[in-house]
Amino acid sequence: MKFKFNVTGLDCPNCAAKLAARMEKLDGVDSAKINFLAEKLTVESELPEEKLLVALQEIADDFEDGIKILK
Amino acid sequence: MNKFKKKCKKIFAFLKKEPVRIALGLLFFLPGFILEKCELTVLSRILCLIALVIAGLPVLVEAIKGIFHGELLDETFLMSIASIGAIVLGEYTEAAAVMIFYLVGEYFEHRAVRRSRGAIKSLMDIRPDEATVLRGGREERVDAEEVEVGESILIRSGERVPIDCVILSGNADLDTSALTGESVPRAVRPGDPLDSGAVVLSGVLTCKTLRPADESAAARILELVENANERKSKEENFITKFSRVYTPSVVVGALLVAILPPIFGWTEWSEAIYRALVFLVVSCPCALVISVPLAFFGGIGCAASRGILYKGGNTFSAIAHAKTFAFDKTGTLTTGRFAVSGVYPVGMDEKELLALAASAEYVSLHPIALCIKQAAGEVARPDESREVPGKGSIATVAGRQIAVGNRALMRQIGAQIRGEHTADAGIVYLADGSEYLGCIAVSDEIKPEAKAAIAQLRQLGAEKTVILSGDRKENVERVKKAVGLDAAEAELLPNEKYERLERLIAEGNGKTVYVGDGINDAPSLARADVGVAMGAIGSDSAIEAADIVIMSDRLDKLPEAIRVARKTLRIAKENIVFALAVKIGVLILGALGIANMWLAVFADVGVAVIAVLNAMRAMRIKKAG
Repeated sequence: MKFKFNVTGLDCPNCAAKLAARMEKLDGVDSAKINFLAEKLTVESELPEEKLLVALQEIADDFEDGIKILK
Repeated sequence: MNKFKKKCKKIFAFLKKEPVRIALGLLFFLPGFILEKCELTVLSRILCLIALVIAGLPVLVEAIKGIFHGELLDETFLMSIASIGAIVLGEYTEAAAVMIFYLVGEYFEHRAVRRSRGAIKSLMDIRPDEATVLRGGREERVDAEEVEVGESILIRSGERVPIDCVILSGNADLDTSALTGESVPRAVRPGDPLDSGAVVLSGVLTCKTLRPADESAAARILELVENANERKSKEENFITKFSRVYTPSVVVGALLVAILPPIFGWTEWSEAIYRALVFLVVSCPCALVISVPLAFFGGIGCAASRGILYKGGNTFSAIAHAKTFAFDKTGTLTTGRFAVSGVYPVGMDEKELLALAASAEYVSLHPIALCIKQAAGEVARPDESREVPGKGSIATVAGRQIAVGNRALMRQIGAQIRGEHTADAGIVYLADGSEYLGCIAVSDEIKPEAKAAIAQLRQLGAEKTVILSGDRKENVERVKKAVGLDAAEAELLPNEKYERLERLIAEGNGKTVYVGDGINDAPSLARADVGVAMGAIGSDSAIEAADIVIMSDRLDKLPEAIRVARKTLRIAKENIVFALAVKIGVLILGALGIANMWLAVFADVGVAVIAVLNAMRAMRIKKAG
């Protein structure tokens, strides 16, 4: 399934790429892409949406303060 | 106790904010800097260390976090090494300066990005989140996405159309500029379809929804523009690849600069290490990584606000270098509607003939008759008029017996037709009694801006402009002449169109653009270097296959699209050249021991800020005067 989330609080495209790379390492996630300028996160995953959102937010919190992933 | 903890947390969060850290850092750093000049070394060092801790501790923490995630060459890590190295060398003021100005740069960079992101967002802010639905006779304000197809919605003046719909009742003036870039308001009435994103300027409308909100026009446009960022331009791909090798290479360079000269006895170890630290400070490719995509995003946004939808950054360079332009005829060069294309009187002026024909056809509802009446303007009522089925009309106008109709009618009344004329839709002949008066040709109407648009394309470097059409030769030639194209190919089957286009692509220098609107144009739109589809009249498959969609169907958007593309490319290239030149310059000066860390910090963050500000210009490309 393809999910689209809004992601706010990212300040640099390098960071966005790094965060996406970390999300891709998550079990059950096939691909994660962040469109830095549009602030959109596109994730392909088998996980149910709610569970995925929690897991992604956890990764983001660990990465940097102030990043929010929203439906 | 808990309260105290909370308070501590609050203060800590406050201290972590960039502007606060910058201000506090400067508060300690500036006296430290002055004291150093007064040779009060110990005091100066203490102040600088405090400034460094305030500004740099969070950076160091992030650097360490990064190491645990295997990101060794992270920006924060490199900056931390640079300032720790400076302290080891006894350069306390520079150590603090690196961190503080790194933060200052970051702060401005983030602000610039946020501002431009905001500007792009407001440019794209064409989709209302809410709609007023009529349910059981009551108005309800709900999420636009919750409105079902077929429900009735209410749109008041000043509001945006939330969902594609058709008007049930009410008249209004509509501003469609957000969708088409057209600033002239359009009058709409019951039965007219409305695209979401348009603004109702006056009046109240009750409408029936045609589609769910997320499939409506505004949502589709946003989707297209957002996804456009995924189809990267050559320049963006270059930057991505470049940044991957840039940082490691500079770090390797730093190591070489640190080790080699002292080994050969050219410089002292401390001097060599200082030079290496200068390298580390300029090792982040951020200026490029951010400003080049930002320029393209700005260009895409700027074009979108004028009703030109680019589906990807990769199209910019193709259309900027376009030399050959091929056009479909109907719906692309012409409006697809009928209009009087020629008046050929015998022994009177054109106006008189038109007026006479219009009067004679006073009662007729035939499409051609309607065109003639529209062209004539005011129509005088005839004394008497009757239709001759399948042939035309015969009327008494100001005492004259006027026959207006086709060749068969002329034969019937014994009038001799003179001259040869052609037209797409048909020709109407006129006679007074049996005396031939002339004829009026009705054709597919050529877009009024077509000729000027083609002239502009030539000014922009178009070498060949061709019309590829399935229509009859005379009609195609007429359009070619009226619009001022170089060549015309008529009576082509869909597959022949495609073959002719392939030949044009093979023969032409530079890139080839195909402009079309129909289902049969889809293969050609996909095959051309740049496919341009007409968004309003165009079929879904044509819009799907195209690289650029012109929402208003206006041909003068084509030269405008080229101008936006060229300007955007120039800005992107300026950023690449500027950022690289400064960085390489500082690297060379640093290796020679001429550049100090101050300059290096400027090269890193100053360039990033300037490049971002430059990129933002792409959003504000001016219209041609």
